Amino acid sequence: MNPKLASYPQLLGAFACLALALVAHVQSIPAWVLATVGLSGAIRLLLARRGRSAPPQAVRLAIAALAIALLFVQFRTFNGLSAGTALLALMAGLKLLETNTQRDIHVVTLIIYFVSASALLEGNSFWLLAYLIAVCWLTTATLLRLPTTGPVPNWRRCLRYSGRILSQALPIAVVFWLFFPRFNGPLWHIPDEGRSAASGLSDSMSPGDIDHLALSDEVAFRVRFAAATPAPAERYWRGPVMHDFDGRTWRLSHSSSTAPLLEPQGRAYRYTVSLEPHQHNWIFTLDWPSRWDLPGGVLTSDYTLVRREPVSRPIDVDATSYTHVHWSERLDNPLRKRDTRLPANRNPRSLQLAQTLRSAHPDDMEYVRAVLAMFAQQPFYYTLTPPKLADNSVDAFLFDTRRGFCEHYASAFAILMRAAGIPTRVVTGYQGGIFNRFADYWIVRQSDAHAWDEVWIEGRGWLRVDPTAAIAPERVEHGLNEEASADEPLTSRWIHRTRWLADARLRLDALRQLWRERILFFDQDSQQKLLEWLNIPEPDAQKLVMVLTVALVLALCWLTWSVRREVDPARKELLIRAYARLCVKLAALGMPRLGHEGAEDYAARVARRRPDLGSAVSALCRDYCGLRYGIASSVSVAQFDAAVRAFRPARKAKQHAQAPTPPGSRAS
Amino acid sequence: MRTLRQAISEKTRAWAARRHGRDTLPIKINRRRIYILPTRFGLMLAFVLVAMLIAGLNYNSNLGLAFAFLMMSVALVTMHHCNRNLLGLQVDVTTEVDAFAGREASFEFVLRNDSIVERRDVEICCMSAAGMRSVPARSTESVPVAIPVAKRGVVRLSQFELRTRYPFGWFHAWTYVQGALTAYVAPSPRGNRTLPSAEGLGSVDRSARPGDEDFAGLRAYQPGVPLKHMAWKVLARGGEAAVQSFTSLAAQPEWLEWSSLEGQDTETRLSQLCLWVLESEAAQRVFGLRIPGKEIAPARGAAHRFACLRALAMYGIGEPQ
Repeated sequence: MNPKLASYPQLLGAFACLALALVAHVQSIPAWVLATVGLSGAIRLLLARRGRSAPPQAVRLAIAALAIALLFVQFRTFNGLSAGTALLALMAGLKLLETNTQRDIHVVTLIIYFVSASALLEGNSFWLLAYLIAVCWLTTATLLRLPTTGPVPNWRRCLRYSGRILSQALPIAVVFWLFFPRFNGPLWHIPDEGRSAASGLSDSMSPGDIDHLALSDEVAFRVRFAAATPAPAERYWRGPVMHDFDGRTWRLSHSSSTAPLLEPQGRAYRYTVSLEPHQHNWIFTLDWPSRWDLPGGVLTSDYTLVRREPVSRPIDVDATSYTHVHWSERLDNPLRKRDTRLPANRNPRSLQLAQTLRSAHPDDMEYVRAVLAMFAQQPFYYTLTPPKLADNSVDAFLFDTRRGFCEHYASAFAILMRAAGIPTRVVTGYQGGIFNRFADYWIVRQSDAHAWDEVWIEGRGWLRVDPTAAIAPERVEHGLNEEASADEPLTSRWIHRTRWLADARLRLDALRQLWRERILFFDQDSQQKLLEWLNIPEPDAQKLVMVLTVALVLALCWLTWSVRREVDPARKELLIRAYARLCVKLAALGMPRLGHEGAEDYAARVARRRPDLGSAVSALCRDYCGLRYGIASSVSVAQFDAAVRAFRPARKAKQHAQAPTPPGSRAS
Repeated sequence: MRTLRQAISEKTRAWAARRHGRDTLPIKINRRRIYILPTRFGLMLAFVLVAMLIAGLNYNSNLGLAFAFLMMSVALVTMHHCNRNLLGLQVDVTTEVDAFAGREASFEFVLRNDSIVERRDVEICCMSAAGMRSVPARSTESVPVAIPVAKRGVVRLSQFELRTRYPFGWFHAWTYVQGALTAYVAPSPRGNRTLPSAEGLGSVDRSARPGDEDFAGLRAYQPGVPLKHMAWKVLARGGEAAVQSFTSLAAQPEWLEWSSLEGQDTETRLSQLCLWVLESEAAQRVFGLRIPGKEIAPARGAAHRFACLRALAMYGIGEPQ
């Protein structure tokens, strides 16, 4: 057989590694691409099994042309991550089809490395990284099985050797990662694909439709306050603001990007919002934001912080907010008109109710209070699973069902306000959150999504009114979990009731946040802090490169030393080194091994002088004899070495355990 | 392209020869003489690594960068391991080898590994031939390398190469050894004449040469006599230590004569003589060789045979210094 030709086990190994690497892409690559890769791998393996080579070139070319054309039809481009990865995966699959020689296997290996790396560009979990490193380990091990002289080494040996290379590479990789200069912003524009579905709040709100957001445990964002934390009733996280109502659905309207001036009052709260990707362009900030650190971030006229591109990757935003502000500007007429507009001929009973109430309360503030009082006194219920509402949803809610959650109350309240000529807008966002006491930050989940109203009171400006608070004050004070637990699925209730499980979840979340802060968001600032920590004066990019160079030189010296040490003829086998280490440890206790003494005798002598160590030492020595002289032994050399390393004898025996020293051993 | 590569290779060989001077075998490969360069796959890997790095930087992805750096470090470590695969190996070579024109001259290299790690896939190259072996920990392996030779004469190698691509084939580490290897290429053994002595086999004078076939009486003991020839019975009777003396059947020295092949051209004569030498040695005869300018006294054994073949190889070429 030609040794240059790839054999069946080699093909199988390469194919398995490619399949494992593509598992990381399952969500981003079209299913038919994965199917093509799998199919071509299977065909090739089947052919190899029968000892045949790759299919003829014409067939391969035809398949390749067809697949690439299909891919182009689907993506319209090969630029961008998912299209590029899909193309790469396809090429790898087709390469597999034509894999004949070892050279082809090398090429497939390189594709596997690149496919793995591209999965990490968008991914950000620790497990993904660990998984792909494992795949890379396996792939590297398959390279060791390419035919050479002598028999092909078995899997265990290949894995051990490539694992050894990987473990030696790890410290060097850490040095690179810590000190390689990072850039702020991309080198060139990345096409934003927004390929994952939008999550969290949407740009419309339809009370009466079934909404599962309230039951979602997914994290929307995490917040770490720099110093003071605002009171629970003030933790309103502002999101998109809705102005347009068609009788059933509230929609986002186009708002200008000139935010009115506010005079902040009271204390400022500084915090960092760690936003999970939600595929919209708004950033949640505490009411009312005054400063923020976000490239391209602007405040709309509704006081919502937005940026141009949607949030498709996790971002951190540092911001400052004031919970109390003073409005000095006036509401101009077009805006007033917009915020009092109601669709004609919809929800007639509600409009009538508003007129009746308004005639009794001509003052705006009094009218607001009267409506809130109505919600509080009449039998309205707060529930996360309200009945579906008819077309005139507000009428149905106010007069028939009277069951709903924040969206229903905010919507109904806004209608009643607008019907009375008070400019009102609906603000969606989040309210509350869970404090993680293990790492001092707040977790805001999708279940904390909230909707409230803002009314324009002449002389006071936009005023936040939360009608939900009138029905279920606990919802605002303590969050959703205590309030609505009866509506939640049983498992989730059980989790919240079980203290230690909740704690475990918080600890896990704290780890996740640590991973995010320390690893995912490691940037120029972090590098600067690292240099400061290393006591390097005036850290800058140049110093960073110098530190990188020095650290690399040190790491490479270590590598050279550790690799050369292995081929030193004086170096003994691991077993002998481990036994020598044991002897050194015992010699440090004043019991050096005598030149003529065998392991068993030595152990017996040690046991006489230090009975407390006797059993441990004699077990180790028995293992050593077993390994060294070929007696059946229950431990491996590596286990013996680990046991010797773990053996840490106390310097002095406990008083009561001290045995009289035999005179003979003292003399020697 | 091909010739450019060859030219570069020749230049580096010459440079290495100047740099290291002449080596005495056996030699231990030290780190100063090991060179290393990426292979084609190594260059492809470098390309992929650069692409990974740029992608990681562009996407500002710390995990992507971590993976790229890990792979870069793996490549660096692999380079050290490839270098290690040759480091500290001991090389020796057996120089007295048979070689016949039109066949192969086979050198036997010996690789000794004193360390506790296996050296996999070490290749030895001289000229266009190569042999590959793995040398397990603390052991010795021999690697035959057969060089095809077309012409009678002498093949002199001043240099050979040890190389390896282990572990992953991304790097190619090699070293040049300046050891003088000489192979005398005897003429191709060929001819249709029978041995001259085979004709007159009947008239053998069995007086002169000692041998080990026919018993011819006892001699006085001399140190160095084979033990099986000792006359133990004589010794046991209390007599002097004596040796049984034998004579060989073909004790008559047989001369392989250039002059007996009158009327043929030089190479045919040499080929015929070569064939006779091999046949005579195989038949354990005592023979001598007489060619113009050279006469080798009758003897037997591997050294004698080698001397005869060498004389035939060097006929008309001139003795090496």
